[in-house]
Amino acid sequence: MDNSTKVARQTINVPSLLRGRSIFLLQLVSIILPISAFAANNTLSEQDILQEFPVVLSASRLFQPLSEAPNAMTVIDRDMIKASGFRSIADLFRLVPGMYVGDLDGHTPIVAYHGSTDQYSRRMQVLVDGRSVYLPPFSSVDWEDIPLHIADIERIEVVRGPAAASHGSNSLHGVINIITREAASLDSTRISATRGEGGVSDMAAHFGKNSTDLDFRVTLGYRADNGYDSAAMNDSSATRLANLRANYHPNSEDSFDLQLGYSEVSRGLGVAGREDENLFRDTWTSSDFQQLTWLHAFPQGDEVKVLYYHIHRSVKDNAPRGTAPQYNTPDNTKVERHDLELQHSTELGANNRLIWGTGVRSDAVESQLNLTIPQSLYQSRFFVHDEWRMTSSALLNAGAMYENDGMGHSNTSPRLAFNYHFMPQQTVRVSTSVAYRSPATVEENSNSPGELVSIGGLRPERVFSKEIGYLGEFSQLGLSINARLYADQVSDMIFIDPLLTGWPPTSLKPYSFANLLSANFRGFESTVKYHWGDNTSVIVNYARQMMDCEITGQLTYTFLQPSLQEIADQCTSSVPWNSGSFLLAQQVAHDLTFSAGYYYQSELQFVGTSAPQSRMQRLDLRVAQAFGEKEKSGGGEISFVVQNVLQDNYTNYSAVPQTNNILFNRRAYLTATINF
Amino acid sequence: MAWGTLSLLILQSTFAETLNVTVVLSEEGGAYREFSDSLRSRLEKQNILLNVIAMNQPVGDSDLIIAVGMKAATALATFKSVAIFNVFIPKEGYNKLQHDFPKRAVSFSAIYLDQPIERQLDLIAAALPNLHHIGILYATPPNDLNTVRQKALERKMTLHEQIVSPATGLSVALQELLRKSEVILALPDAEIYNAATIRNILLASYRANVPIIGFSSSFVRAGGLCAVFSTPTQIAGQTASVINQFSETHILPAAQYAHEFEVLVNMQVTRSLNLSIPPPAELYSEIRRKQ
Repeated sequence: MDNSTKVARQTINVPSLLRGRSIFLLQLVSIILPISAFAANNTLSEQDILQEFPVVLSASRLFQPLSEAPNAMTVIDRDMIKASGFRSIADLFRLVPGMYVGDLDGHTPIVAYHGSTDQYSRRMQVLVDGRSVYLPPFSSVDWEDIPLHIADIERIEVVRGPAAASHGSNSLHGVINIITREAASLDSTRISATRGEGGVSDMAAHFGKNSTDLDFRVTLGYRADNGYDSAAMNDSSATRLANLRANYHPNSEDSFDLQLGYSEVSRGLGVAGREDENLFRDTWTSSDFQQLTWLHAFPQGDEVKVLYYHIHRSVKDNAPRGTAPQYNTPDNTKVERHDLELQHSTELGANNRLIWGTGVRSDAVESQLNLTIPQSLYQSRFFVHDEWRMTSSALLNAGAMYENDGMGHSNTSPRLAFNYHFMPQQTVRVSTSVAYRSPATVEENSNSPGELVSIGGLRPERVFSKEIGYLGEFSQLGLSINARLYADQVSDMIFIDPLLTGWPPTSLKPYSFANLLSANFRGFESTVKYHWGDNTSVIVNYARQMMDCEITGQLTYTFLQPSLQEIADQCTSSVPWNSGSFLLAQQVAHDLTFSAGYYYQSELQFVGTSAPQSRMQRLDLRVAQAFGEKEKSGGGEISFVVQNVLQDNYTNYSAVPQTNNILFNRRAYLTATINF
Repeated sequence: MAWGTLSLLILQSTFAETLNVTVVLSEEGGAYREFSDSLRSRLEKQNILLNVIAMNQPVGDSDLIIAVGMKAATALATFKSVAIFNVFIPKEGYNKLQHDFPKRAVSFSAIYLDQPIERQLDLIAAALPNLHHIGILYATPPNDLNTVRQKALERKMTLHEQIVSPATGLSVALQELLRKSEVILALPDAEIYNAATIRNILLASYRANVPIIGFSSSFVRAGGLCAVFSTPTQIAGQTASVINQFSETHILPAAQYAHEFEVLVNMQVTRSLNLSIPPPAELYSEIRRKQ
């Protein structure tokens, strides 16, 4: 332990009152005093109690409790991640009411809220430690190549509802905010390995070190499987990733957080029976990021944060991609993003917390196939958010974000929420907000002859959301309830505008895009958590969703409007009528845990897909046996997971008829973890 | 003539009642100065001559010395001919002084600065009645550890103890304790809780959703959930009563904890941890009721 406390332990001054007393006494005192001086250093002194501590949990550092958040939020913590037994990060969102998690194939998950119009779920903002991984050109999130290991996630906050005012642009339907474990969270070495059916083969090594001023943790990971293991698709993948998180805190005011990550993924593509456009082949993706955050805490509680990050992502799909001539070109994409943001949080008086910030971003996209020339986008944003505690039980959250999206649009997204604690631990929340989604690069600027040719001139999509929510904590019963009713109107939804080839038309392609539809989403979501003693916990989610669409725009070829009407009618089946999940975690014995997850989703069919997705009733089980001392050297765990135990094999998101009948079968895998 | 003798006698007895009290402050300013100023204002009306001095000043003739802080207490404990009353010292510090300087002819006593363990446990019981797993950290076992264990048992609390050894370090010990505890009671120990370590301690326990009960107002402002502590003014009040009693009996009471105390709650941390805690005034009455 470092003895350099703020208060210096001075040597004791021999008071002058000893002058004139006997020498013997002086000598005795001189002998005694040094000992007691030494002793005073080691035994208690009043300074232990009177010392001044710096403010650590300042207002800006404290998480808003769910009952005071301006939006409905779901938090997925490490206990839930463990109990679920999921290997892939995207699967974790099955634990969020109203969230859709599907697979295009074994390595392309689709995570969408309020349905989606295609495989690129682009109506949610996704952040990892404040870094937006929602990238051009498709404005999508590629879950499998984010250099992030599932065991390094501390918690995930999912904001259900537009949150542009606090989380930035493109959070039309909501925000997924992934928070990774801090640099100081690991002070040892941990190795794990997973083996299972379907070619599941994972390995990971985690190493960390803590010291007074500097903490860091390093992860090396490898993840591979054969995807759906079906002859109809080539969808196996192998991911290698490495990341580092280091935190330097030289004093109680400043903290510098550095993150570096790299991943390399090889994925199979190809659909049997569609060799003309989708041959069996391998593709490569490499992705890296660097991120630096500086946090400065002022003595009176203010805090300033400066965040810079750079993301580079490159996808290589070499020719031939298909036997037809237009598929004999490679599809290589490269994205470079730089982003710099400043945030300041402060207290204006005892009842008012204000946070404001500004940021700039540059995105450079190169896509041989889709864009004739590389595109550069410069985006800037300014946001402000105020939390006003009107009385001890009434809270008003008001905020707005102004954004210039670099495509000629300037949008302002406001949000207003009122939380009222009508009894202790019982809260009602009423909120309303507006948010925008800027057109994706491929929607606005595509130039891939015969495939995607953008006319351009698109307006951003806009959502106007209203909701009323209830949160109740019944701690005597170990119960908490979180529920809401919402009505979201999306206008100017961007959808495919076929430009046709030939006359009479031989093909609907090339496609352009236009602002064609408006959609109404209404529904109910709820989460109930229950604790029974120290050993049992249950989380139940349920959502009822309704959607309908209306045509509000014109296709280039107006005679196609009736088919657009058909698409608008399909909207209703785009969201599942009922969906939900049930997660039970039970501590059976001191070292044995059992968990079960049940996931339900009624039949649904996304707009533009070739067949409906069958009803899903899936049960996953996990059993884990710990050995040795928990998280100490020589300790560890063996866990066995079976997914879809009841073999209720369901179909998935299918873009083409050949993949309509690929089923998610039962699969099992075993994981062993050892600590050093 | 008789009147003269009488007046002289009266004068003599008046003089005899004047008590010379010297207050020796271990440090300048802050809590120490607050104590002496408050003491002075409490004693204004009595026939007490109060002399407040710093460490390196001569003491002079005193009937009673008030040593404020361990430094003054240790230096003055050698004074065997004057009654010494120590304040602002922890109980363990006082015990050590008694051990190092035994066989005092005259009175030696104290008001401890730390709070009795019962008061701290009663605070936890009043603020967090549903939590029973209390965690404590220490490098060397506190002298009154058995008392702590017993008092916790009496209140049906399960005490989890975690030793911080140089080998394992504070982080590891804290993580281990956070796994087992629902709330941590911070026992004053500058080796564990100091300006350099407090950041990691408060952040780690906050992340683990475990509140920490502190031991001072500064600790609570830093991010502790709540604390009981005695202010310099309250201790001065109690000291004034002791001085008044001493001026009549020339005996000091036995060493004791401070009778008066305050309860402070960090409302922001309370809300953020989603805890429903009674207001400080209610906590205070609840603790008082049990004593």
